[in-house]
Amino acid sequence: MTLPILPTTVVGSYSMPGWLERLKTEFYARRISRRDLDEIHDTAVKAAIKDQEIAGVDIISDGELRRDNMIDYFAERLPGVQIDHASKKFHYDFYDSKVLGKLPLAPLGLVEDFKFLRANTDRATKFCVTGPHSLSKRIRNEYYPSEEEFAMDLARVMNPELRAIAKAGAQFIQIDEPNYSGFPDDLPWGVKALNLLVEGVEAKIAVHICYGNRYGKPSWEGSYRYLFPGILDAKVHQLTLEFARRGGEDLELFRELPAKFELGVGVIDVKTQAIETPDLVAERIRKALAVIPAERLFVLPDCGCLHLPREVAFGKLCAMVGGARLVRKELKG
Amino acid sequence: MILQLNHLQKKIAASTIQEVVDTLYALLEEGQLEQEQFARLRVHLDWIQYRQNFRECVSATKATSEPQKQRSPMEVHIDTRQVTPGALRDEILRTMTSCDAPAPRQEGVLLEDFRSFRESIAWGFNRLYWHRLADWEQFTGRGYEQALPGGKSDANHPGAVADCVGDFWTLIRDLDSRKQLPEEIFVLEIGVGMGTRAGLWLDRFRALDGERGTKYYPRLRFLLGDYSLATLERSRPAVKEHLELCSFVVLDALNPLKNLAFLRHKILHIHLTNVYDNLPDEEFARRDGKLYAVQVRAYVPPADAQRISQESKISTAEIPRTVNRLLEGGPDYLADRQRGLAFWQEVWKAMRLEERLVSLEDLPDVVLPSGLHQEKLEEVLQEAPSDVRFHASSGALESFQNTVPLLHPRGFLQVQDIFVTNFNEYRLGFHGPGKLDGSIVNWVNGVLLREVGERAGYDVHFAPFHYRKGSRTSILYTTQRE
Repeated sequence: MTLPILPTTVVGSYSMPGWLERLKTEFYARRISRRDLDEIHDTAVKAAIKDQEIAGVDIISDGELRRDNMIDYFAERLPGVQIDHASKKFHYDFYDSKVLGKLPLAPLGLVEDFKFLRANTDRATKFCVTGPHSLSKRIRNEYYPSEEEFAMDLARVMNPELRAIAKAGAQFIQIDEPNYSGFPDDLPWGVKALNLLVEGVEAKIAVHICYGNRYGKPSWEGSYRYLFPGILDAKVHQLTLEFARRGGEDLELFRELPAKFELGVGVIDVKTQAIETPDLVAERIRKALAVIPAERLFVLPDCGCLHLPREVAFGKLCAMVGGARLVRKELKG
Repeated sequence: MILQLNHLQKKIAASTIQEVVDTLYALLEEGQLEQEQFARLRVHLDWIQYRQNFRECVSATKATSEPQKQRSPMEVHIDTRQVTPGALRDEILRTMTSCDAPAPRQEGVLLEDFRSFRESIAWGFNRLYWHRLADWEQFTGRGYEQALPGGKSDANHPGAVADCVGDFWTLIRDLDSRKQLPEEIFVLEIGVGMGTRAGLWLDRFRALDGERGTKYYPRLRFLLGDYSLATLERSRPAVKEHLELCSFVVLDALNPLKNLAFLRHKILHIHLTNVYDNLPDEEFARRDGKLYAVQVRAYVPPADAQRISQESKISTAEIPRTVNRLLEGGPDYLADRQRGLAFWQEVWKAMRLEERLVSLEDLPDVVLPSGLHQEKLEEVLQEAPSDVRFHASSGALESFQNTVPLLHPRGFLQVQDIFVTNFNEYRLGFHGPGKLDGSIVNWVNGVLLREVGERAGYDVHFAPFHYRKGSRTSILYTTQRE
């Protein structure tokens, strides 16, 4: 699939409608069935796909609307992770989950969700997976001697699923590792686990590193300076980072980014409801172009649009696409 | 008939209950009260701790727009503190018979139509008080802090301030050790009063920083925020030793973000004292499983209206218009300033609120407080007593929602105020509104704050204020929700 220069994409999640939140919570209250919830999810995902298509996004996701949050979707599927189902009051809460023994290998069922996305759009697609570092920070480890060993084993059991997703046609897979920013000292082993996770996965791999977006607010603050030099060991093709909310100062750090890396630049602040103008987006893209050539630059929001109202999320995606088009015109001269 | 005793003042309650029951049966026997009326009566006995409040000794609250009127609840509220021996019968009779009248009492003066309390003219008086505090104080001859229980604010308790500073120092030390401490360390105090707490806080922080040799003090950026410029000016002397670190910001406590958007996610500590209890509010009631909005209209009772009319040399009919002029332009805009101040005080003192219940089903456009949806409210109420009347704390919820986005990811909010932290508390005492000098005081619904906080990504906790024995305030503090 041919992409334009400065391809636009999303980080993964799309606006979670209030009605879907309520229905998910109804499911936990046992007032609707799993079968009905699955059908509701299918419908919501189709709507998210359509919104991204109408907005003109080049590489789209399923909006992650099946996921309660970035952890539980995986924790529930990982054999060997024990879940206290009574621990969730609201769908967005994290389960109390723990691991008591060595994780066994088994399919996780992510391929089906990717196939649903693939079947419902002609656009290029992206499938997002929470990385082992972030999972190891939330699933309680009561077996492995260290977080590092737990994360490495998570990577080992998730790797075959990623290979299967690629085999099913995924050309672009994004690994989400926001917790790197909260625990910068973990970066060396975080990257090791990341490399094991994506080993042999035949797709373009991006790693998304932000400063958190839980409840639509940052979990940490700081500078991406901590990523260097550790991140350069990552066997990925693209770094996808947050720049719109935090200002573009950190962009300078990526001026010397080796040519093997592309840069996904966040140009949409997902933590405010103010919709950017295409001009503002274009300005942010131009700033990024000052440090990285256009052929290695991808355009996307800072993070997922989960916490934004639908009309705001849609407006922001439209502005992002509009801004990218403005700059493409300039580049064509 | 349901008789509901909402307080624990045993002796007063016992004698009043007997008198109420005797009176109602007597009225029934005399035919003054119909059986059907008697059957659907709910009599609430409250002991209103605020000497100045919005209730008469006996008042009635009726539900409106009921398709089957005979089934709608009819409530009589009795303030056991105001009951005087022998007067109850006449008061109940008056209330029951005037219940369907257009005005609360013959020749009383209505100041507005029925509306949500948060939109009531009462809040206009509250605003005027804070904007013209100096005038009020001059006229009454006492400072506003003297009106507080104990005559001073708990906010200024040195022990509480020292603990707050200690917690804050620990937080920034931790951030520093992780190399995550911003160069500028922002702290915000909303509702500064005389600036006493801000001064104490800064003194203590400087001392602690000096003792521990951490050199954070010069990096502090202390913002004093208040919606009254006059109050900000009055707070300056209290922080005079720290002026180079202080900024004085006029802001609306309902939406601090409006003026401080540039500090989104940057403030490490935000503190408010006795602000939430003074923000516009409204009440809801659940009766027989149905949710009602409590609507109010302000009025001046007839005897007071007559007196004010004579003292102010205006007719009773002119009172509403004169009140509007007062609220728009202040006491100076009335004939002369002294008379204006006297008129203000007298109307405020006399003002009462008539109430009615309107089913939420009849109010399809009802705006619930920020961050609270009806489904959520109903979910919360599943844990509450079946018949309960409670504050929506709209202003407090709005303020909270518009304050937490200013917090740094590791920052925390502290609110010292009077909180109801469990719906059962509403059945054990009166929680406002009351009048505190020229302002309104209302307890804050901590249960709803907790719910709204969760959705905003914060766990909200309440700790009793243990620094002063007998204090009824608590400290709300937030922690990041995982």
